[in-house]
Amino acid sequence: MAARKFDSKALAKGVFSILVFLVLWEIGSRSKQWIALDAFSWLRDMLEAFGFRSKYLPWIGAIPAPSAVLVAWKDVLFDAGYWHSWYMSGARVFGGFIAAMLVGIPFGLALAVSRTVHGIGFPVFELLRPIPPLAWVPASIIFWPTQELSIAFVTFLDAFYTVVINVVGGAKSIDVRFFQAAQSMGSSKADIFRRVILPGTLPSIVVGSAVGMGITWEVVVAAEMISGGGSQVGGTSGGGLGFFIWNSYVGGSYEQIVVGMISIGIAGYISSELLRHFGKYLTPWLRLR
Amino acid sequence: MPQQDKQPISPDMMIGILKATMPFQVVSEPLLRRIAAIGWKTTFRAGDTLYEAGGPADDLFIVVAGKIDHELQPGVHARRPMKTLVEGDVFGWAALLEKVPNRLAKAVCTEDALVIRINGEELLKVLESDPNAGDVVMSRFATMITRDYTVPDLIAQLRGIHRKLHARDPQGMNVTLYRVSRWLKSPKPYLMLIGLSIFFGGWYLFVEVLRLPRFREMPGITTVVAEWMSPNPTYGLSIYTGEYYQHILVSIWRVTQAFFLATALGVPLGLFLGWSRKFKDLVFPVFETLRPIPILAWVPIAIVMFVATESAVIFLTFLASFFATALNTMLGVESIDESYVRAAYCLGSNERQVFLHVIVPGSLPFIFTGLQISVGVAWFSLVAAEMVSGQYGLGYVINTSYTTVKYPTIIIGMITLGAVGYVTSAMVRVAGDYMMQWRLRELAMGAN
Repeated sequence: MAARKFDSKALAKGVFSILVFLVLWEIGSRSKQWIALDAFSWLRDMLEAFGFRSKYLPWIGAIPAPSAVLVAWKDVLFDAGYWHSWYMSGARVFGGFIAAMLVGIPFGLALAVSRTVHGIGFPVFELLRPIPPLAWVPASIIFWPTQELSIAFVTFLDAFYTVVINVVGGAKSIDVRFFQAAQSMGSSKADIFRRVILPGTLPSIVVGSAVGMGITWEVVVAAEMISGGGSQVGGTSGGGLGFFIWNSYVGGSYEQIVVGMISIGIAGYISSELLRHFGKYLTPWLRLR
Repeated sequence: MPQQDKQPISPDMMIGILKATMPFQVVSEPLLRRIAAIGWKTTFRAGDTLYEAGGPADDLFIVVAGKIDHELQPGVHARRPMKTLVEGDVFGWAALLEKVPNRLAKAVCTEDALVIRINGEELLKVLESDPNAGDVVMSRFATMITRDYTVPDLIAQLRGIHRKLHARDPQGMNVTLYRVSRWLKSPKPYLMLIGLSIFFGGWYLFVEVLRLPRFREMPGITTVVAEWMSPNPTYGLSIYTGEYYQHILVSIWRVTQAFFLATALGVPLGLFLGWSRKFKDLVFPVFETLRPIPILAWVPIAIVMFVATESAVIFLTFLASFFATALNTMLGVESIDESYVRAAYCLGSNERQVFLHVIVPGSLPFIFTGLQISVGVAWFSLVAAEMVSGQYGLGYVINTSYTTVKYPTIIIGMITLGAVGYVTSAMVRVAGDYMMQWRLRELAMGAN
């Protein structure tokens, strides 16, 4: 995992390609305006022949243009409700995520260490795992007293699965010679756990939590959308970013939808990066490779 | 024929003689003793004919002393039909051949000889009683016939002790049964039963017996099962209603469309991203900008973009699968050992051949990992999409059952979703194993 050298050429190409993407998007979205010109009547006829609406380019024409999105973002940037959505979603994500770590890591380690626990616990775990976490949303709303808890539970659930699977997989991939070496040099069971299993699974715990963090953001958005986002907490725009998107959709301000999407993307990216750095700090021996 | 008298021989002497022969060299003492018990000794004078080709093949001979000329008949296709047999040589092995009742050679004594005779049928019986040792003896016979008598064609007819042995090898059904019995002997199934009964017992106990505060609202396991299996369901959905299967089919159909679309677009994109540096520099930044956006955040945009909700649902399902497939395919191409590509170029492949014969098969393992993830996320986003917008489908069932307070149906929907999702991932895994048998074998060899 050698640190990649800062490559200004690649960066330039990346910026260029994103710019091209934005320009194409802008042109596509603005098709509402320029397609009405007489010069494009052939294009309109063609669209109509394919069964699309001839008012704008199919699909992309329905999306707000990036310039409009930027304007909408500027408006919302100083709105306390928008930042409150960030805070709400972030709190739910971290709540669910930390709960998943606290429960999932010990459970995963127990599954990895003890054959009995594995025999009892793993079949049940495997039985429940194929059910998508979002399918739990209604059941969890019924079960938990507050909506906040039910969203946190669903967020917790998926991060939990990911963490446990990674811990068990990581423990299984430890070279058996390490155990043999430790045992032949007289380690006790506690020593083996502390000095072999724990450091051996740490990289996969880090990977698992980074993946779990990504999924947590996915789930929190969905849970907020489906459950109505705990709107009682922070007014109409204060129920989290998922609710922010949904609310914008219901309110018909499509630019804000895109603002919300990008915000969630940024939030998910930042939290995954933070976690990755923290993970590097926890597993310094991997940096040497 | 002259001198056909059979005289008994002392077992110790016989064992000594047998030990000096090629086929019986490695046989254990007790088995040798049993073979010795069925052997006789006979003397021949120079000029005597032991047997003619075409005569009955009854006994096996071992030369103890003297010389015997052995001539295989032309039909046997021996490379060197003539052979002079001396002390320790074994002949008359036609007695052990399966479809050959008659002698294949003519054996004439050229110098006064002492030979041991063993009846072929009796010898086979003794060998069959100890299949492991018998197998060794028969394969040594096979080696002897090929090497010393230069007759390769007949080996298949060596009356197979080993064939009997192989018939007893575990095969097919037997292997499965063997594994099942091994599994039953391990503590695993019992621990599993304990685990499952704790889970289901806990569900039953908390919800229906103790009726704990929060659990009281939940549908109990007996209610769910009764509803699921009832011909007259209270809430209108059970295994007897056609609607149930309609929801399942609609969901499966959506996932199938999205999955194949994502594979058809994602695999080529991933291959090109991994294959061409330029293409990656240009496209990957955009890809990575869009990827962190949760699929669910796309829901309203998808509804706005696609006028029909059906295509919106498929688009959302497609999107998640697409990212997973493309990314894993790209990683797969990047994981290919550079020296394979160089070797192919050195051997004169052009770009197209390298792509088809190195890049594509080399990235298959990663592609299939990606496809498995892709099926999983397809179901994940399908449920979300169906819950938010959609008609029919299992996600829709779960959501509407919640809004219309049909609680047991929620659980039925969840269980069905889990089962269907599991089956589809298993299908992808099996397809992958089938397409990558070379890799399975590699892994199996590594495990040995």
